[in-house]
Amino acid sequence: MKRSLQVVAVTVAAVSSLGLSMGGSSAASPAVTADPNAKVEYSGTLSILTKFGLQQLSPYFVNLAQDYEKLHPGVKVELIQESDDSVKGKTKTLVASNSLPDVYFSWTGSWGANFVRGNRAVDLSKVIGPDTDWGKTLSPAAVKAFEYNGKLYGIPLYQDAKFMGYNKQIFAKLGLKAPATFEELLTSCDAIRKSGATPISLGNKEAWPAIHFAGQLLAYNVPQAALERDFDPATAEYTDPGYVAALKQFSQLVVRCTDGAGVNGTSYASALQAFTNAQSAMYYQEIIEFDQAATPDSAVKPADFGFFKLPVPDGAKGDPKSIEGAPEGYMINAASKNIPLAIDFMKFVTSKENAQVLSAPPYGQPSATIGGASESNMSVAVVDGLKEINAASFLMPWLDTANPPRVAAVWLSGLQALAGGSMTPEQVMDEVRKTASAAK
Amino acid sequence: MVHGAARPQRQKSLRARFGNLLSFRWAAIALILIGWFVYYPIVDNFVVSTTDQDIYTGEVTNVGLANYDRLLHDPIVLVALWNNCLYAIISVVFQVFGAFLLAALIEDLRSERWRRFWRAVYFVPSAISITVTGLLFYFIYQPQIGLLDAALSRLGLGQLVQPWLGNEHTAIYAIIAMSQWQGFGYSTLLFAIAIQKIPRDLYDAATMDGAGAFRRLWSITFPLTREMTGLMIIVTITGAFQVFNEVMVMTAGGPNNSSQVLGTWLYQKAFIEDNFGYGAAIAAVIFVLTMLTGAAQLWYTKRRRVQL
Repeated sequence: MKRSLQVVAVTVAAVSSLGLSMGGSSAASPAVTADPNAKVEYSGTLSILTKFGLQQLSPYFVNLAQDYEKLHPGVKVELIQESDDSVKGKTKTLVASNSLPDVYFSWTGSWGANFVRGNRAVDLSKVIGPDTDWGKTLSPAAVKAFEYNGKLYGIPLYQDAKFMGYNKQIFAKLGLKAPATFEELLTSCDAIRKSGATPISLGNKEAWPAIHFAGQLLAYNVPQAALERDFDPATAEYTDPGYVAALKQFSQLVVRCTDGAGVNGTSYASALQAFTNAQSAMYYQEIIEFDQAATPDSAVKPADFGFFKLPVPDGAKGDPKSIEGAPEGYMINAASKNIPLAIDFMKFVTSKENAQVLSAPPYGQPSATIGGASESNMSVAVVDGLKEINAASFLMPWLDTANPPRVAAVWLSGLQALAGGSMTPEQVMDEVRKTASAAK
Repeated sequence: MVHGAARPQRQKSLRARFGNLLSFRWAAIALILIGWFVYYPIVDNFVVSTTDQDIYTGEVTNVGLANYDRLLHDPIVLVALWNNCLYAIISVVFQVFGAFLLAALIEDLRSERWRRFWRAVYFVPSAISITVTGLLFYFIYQPQIGLLDAALSRLGLGQLVQPWLGNEHTAIYAIIAMSQWQGFGYSTLLFAIAIQKIPRDLYDAATMDGAGAFRRLWSITFPLTREMTGLMIIVTITGAFQVFNEVMVMTAGGPNNSSQVLGTWLYQKAFIEDNFGYGAAIAAVIFVLTMLTGAAQLWYTKRRRVQL
């Protein structure tokens, strides 16, 4: 027995020492800055990780790749197309195995910050800054959303924000108008439920849809300074009383407007389907989904589709003009062997002509290129939504990309528990505080 | 003289040994491949489990056994371990003993045509991919349009209607139930093959001695399929500790981590929370548990083996 223990101890020590031998090692490349005068070599293969894996969106990058290959016959574009859910795991696997493609999708906030921290993204300041030729073609606010430590690292492709889409026909039948306050929204839900329809279809199986409701309510209830302090792992406290107030409002919304605990057993896609089939009156969605929620072939036609910003609760102490959302875009891999070519491809992607295709149906992704979001070829709802985004005083980042992953995971599971009724708002915030403190 | 006689013997022995070593060259490629793709990752996983890695910067810090210490105090690990145990227990009951009984019933049928028919009927779900089955059952359990809740309502059992995958108390059972439906037929088929190998004379003799169906099952079929039963128990238990796909497809471990199993918690920690060291520690626990289960079961079946 004594001998066995000795063997175990020696084995553990050996394994630990193997780990020790790797201590402090680093696989990341040094910081790389884009050279505006670099000559573009139009040869070789360019790999791109997109978030356009859904059937409706995937042709966009496929067509762009074909067009670019036609323009430059020596170049081959390889696409890795993922969905909103799968791109997260895929990206991390590629990072962990040092296999990031030349160009890859990124959110703003802490998601993008990780690539910058690890010197995985090219500093694009000299090619995309406000005074550069390329920078002048892009929305300055969207470019600035990818600013870290005073440098620019991202190429914004489109603007995004969350709105409540509603079925105008159901509202008109019940004599309802788009609610002006949160309390009015709850009252409207009661009336819709009485009529037999589901007021808001919410599918929270993936856990992040609830985060989007909570994110907007947090922006309304918690002052911006407190939010920004709490999103920084070094200063996070999560003590503002607005957090609990926002979660209480979310609980009310789940009980009065949705299928209650059933939301955790329904997928995001099923909830969207319920709305497009006119089985529910409202669906909380991103502007980039407007053209998919109401199509000429769905039960809810584009003319029946309306939207409003999630209404502000009475007495909320945050910013009533804020809106939850952020531009989304792409970064260039610092380890890429052909950075000038990767930049050239992204200039092609963000050209006015391609931007207009992106903004129009069936894609409906309002481009971050100036003049790319043209009212003439976009659906009315997307045009109006874009105006609301531009009028917002503060863009509240998505909670799951603004927070470090460990804190984000607690938000995700905590809000599922809140929706399911197994945790109170105070308990959820206790868990968030504990994890944020441990993650410092 | 003595020395002279010993030398050829020693030479012969050396030649034999060298010859044995040479014979290894035929297996060398296989050994290298197995070593590289099977055993090296196992060792490397233990190494990674003693580190804290930042995948973005590539920095690796040795933390000794801190990940294992953290694992002992992680409440979700207990939830996941319990869910894996539930998976194993329920799967052994249905996919081993239930499948054994069903196979015995099918093989007891007189008509070969009916035997083939029932084997095929029970085997069909196993031919469907687990991911597809997971999606199929997601729709069956769906609260608004799901078949299960609709059937319960029609049968006057409305009080049982609930969001099966959305309820923290039912999610893991709903997933396990799907898994039984999927795996039951495969086990049945394997038991049917084992039963077919038993000589009919034994049954005929037992029948002439007045043994009834249950007695024949207990005294002939059961002991003579013990090896298959042991194998199925190992496969089922190790499978229960490696379960991943069905949980990811149906709940991704939710709601509120209630249906996490070790495999999905490993994925959550490593790939969602960027904590590869802790994920490796969970993987090490899964490895040890499945190894111990397999070893114990092999030892037990070897002791109780019945040979014809």
